[in-house]
Amino acid sequence: MARNLNLSQCISESLHLEMERDHSVLVIGEDVGMQGGVFGATRGLQKKFGATRVIDTPISESAITGMGVGLAIEGYRPVLEIMFVDFIGVCLDQVYNAIAKNHYMSGGRVRMPIVIKTAGGCIGSGAQHSQCLWGLFAHLPGLKVVAPSNPYDAKGLMASAVESDDPVVYIEHKGLLLKRAEDFSFGSDVPEGRYTIPLGKGNIVHPGSNLTIATLSGTVSLCVNVARALAEKGISIEVIDLRSVVPLDIDLVRDSVAKTNRLLVVDEDYLSFGLSAEIITRVIESGINPKAIRRHAVPDVPIPGALTLEREILPSESSITDVVMEMMEAK
Amino acid sequence: MLWTRHFELACLEGVPTREIQGELHTAIGQEAISAAMVGSLRKEDAMCSTHRNHMHAIAIGVDLRSMLAEIFERKTGICGGFGGHMHIFDSSVKFSATGIVGAGVPVALGHAYAAKLKENGAVAIAVVGDGAVNTGAFHEAMNMAGAMSLPLIVLVENNEWAISVPFSASSATETISERAPSWGAQGVRVNGLDVEAVAEAFSIATDRARAGQGPSIVEAMCYRFRGHFEGDADMYRSKDEKEERRAQDPIEITKNTLISRGLASEDVLNSMAHSVKDSMAQMLSSVRSDPTPESADAKRFVFVESH
Repeated sequence: MARNLNLSQCISESLHLEMERDHSVLVIGEDVGMQGGVFGATRGLQKKFGATRVIDTPISESAITGMGVGLAIEGYRPVLEIMFVDFIGVCLDQVYNAIAKNHYMSGGRVRMPIVIKTAGGCIGSGAQHSQCLWGLFAHLPGLKVVAPSNPYDAKGLMASAVESDDPVVYIEHKGLLLKRAEDFSFGSDVPEGRYTIPLGKGNIVHPGSNLTIATLSGTVSLCVNVARALAEKGISIEVIDLRSVVPLDIDLVRDSVAKTNRLLVVDEDYLSFGLSAEIITRVIESGINPKAIRRHAVPDVPIPGALTLEREILPSESSITDVVMEMMEAK
Repeated sequence: MLWTRHFELACLEGVPTREIQGELHTAIGQEAISAAMVGSLRKEDAMCSTHRNHMHAIAIGVDLRSMLAEIFERKTGICGGFGGHMHIFDSSVKFSATGIVGAGVPVALGHAYAAKLKENGAVAIAVVGDGAVNTGAFHEAMNMAGAMSLPLIVLVENNEWAISVPFSASSATETISERAPSWGAQGVRVNGLDVEAVAEAFSIATDRARAGQGPSIVEAMCYRFRGHFEGDADMYRSKDEKEERRAQDPIEITKNTLISRGLASEDVLNSMAHSVKDSMAQMLSSVRSDPTPESADAKRFVFVESH
């Protein structure tokens, strides 16, 4: 039975367990201490572990991320919170020039066990507060990129991210953070104890045989709802929750497409040069030539402010259904 | 100072031979500043440096041969050839460098915070040039160090030129040190050609940091004798200026001070210089016989698990 908590509490619970078992874990960011994070994902940490391990910082993202680099060299495991993923623009230098590259540039001698915890996803907040950007991080070598879709995964993937000796960008979805566990149709049972979910292992959240949908984060539940509704019409859809963009579980997608012969990628990130093209290319490169292939992502426009405009550009249950129906016509 | 000068001179040999690709930045003319740090550094201290980093690395104790091998793109380099001369890492002495101007200061802030957590009396030193002080990262890190009273020392090598733009044209203040109070820090400007003056200022800053009194800026005035990088046409500085300033050689100044105070004879000092020069020549010759990295290794080290 689902415990009475929301997804952000699952993340906070995971961080509690990590900070308890490993004293080198620190949490650093804006409003993470006293307030417990603007979405509550670091609630209770400062009270329990003190203000030296859970640090409320000024609005200084370059300092936060750079600090993480120095602390990692000193043997710590900093969890750096960038409140909204959109804010990465003010500190991308430390992220992609230092955090992502120091291990490589040092010939493997320096490790960067850093988590960049940040909130993405479209929730009607406009162009500077509603992006996903996992494709951006994934393009830069040296970063692992995780985006959970449900409470169970959110807790287990955070434990794995903190435990990882590589830097991990952990992108929460703002539309899921405050959703109650019991309102998720999958991954709603969250054990109280610690557990991990390996990075780079996708999950089949709805099995099927006619068409494969690869997706992650906030759009997984939409795709599951579509799969359930279309099952009643005799269309069997396999929905794969990728869980992470780097590493990408392409084997799981390929094996599914080998069976279904149709591949749709649903992505809340921008369309071009992104996750959807990458998945499709890798599947084709692996020697599979599906009879139907489609990308359904945010067309290459900034996220608009008004909800009526935002709905127009986001994948929705009805738009996903439309694309699936078109693909099913391919013989 | 002799070691840092002759180390840079050895590096220069790799440019025309194309043993060193990319742009090599030497600090010839700025030797007194690195030398001045040595006496105040402790084993647990950390240092974050710049694209012009060799002298700082030598000051904190990075192995010269491994660094020379890295710069000459050898497998035996301190980063196995994966870093290159702008990206020297040596965790054993907590040294790192970045090729991004200003980016080392927030990293040093992290080391300074670690010193607070470990309560080990360590200090973190960010060495930067005068160009870096106008970046946002510099301001953010200084402010946080001041707000948290962290043991951060920013040693600014003010060589008056950020590539082609003079400091006078890019700073709202006449000096960098005078900005320090706005971050709750102590600031001092010293003659960077005078090793004793820099050493004294640096020692005051480290003592202050170790005593929990917060960050400092030590601004050491100097002049880079060569272009921004090897191959820089350096047309932005007049011939007269360059000649006049190069005549103020910190090594000659230090040598004359030692002689005039009767601390060493000219013969002894000349023989020291010859000996260092010979040692560097031998080291370079030995490094040149080292293997280059194996091309098959180019995809290693992206992730820890991909070793």
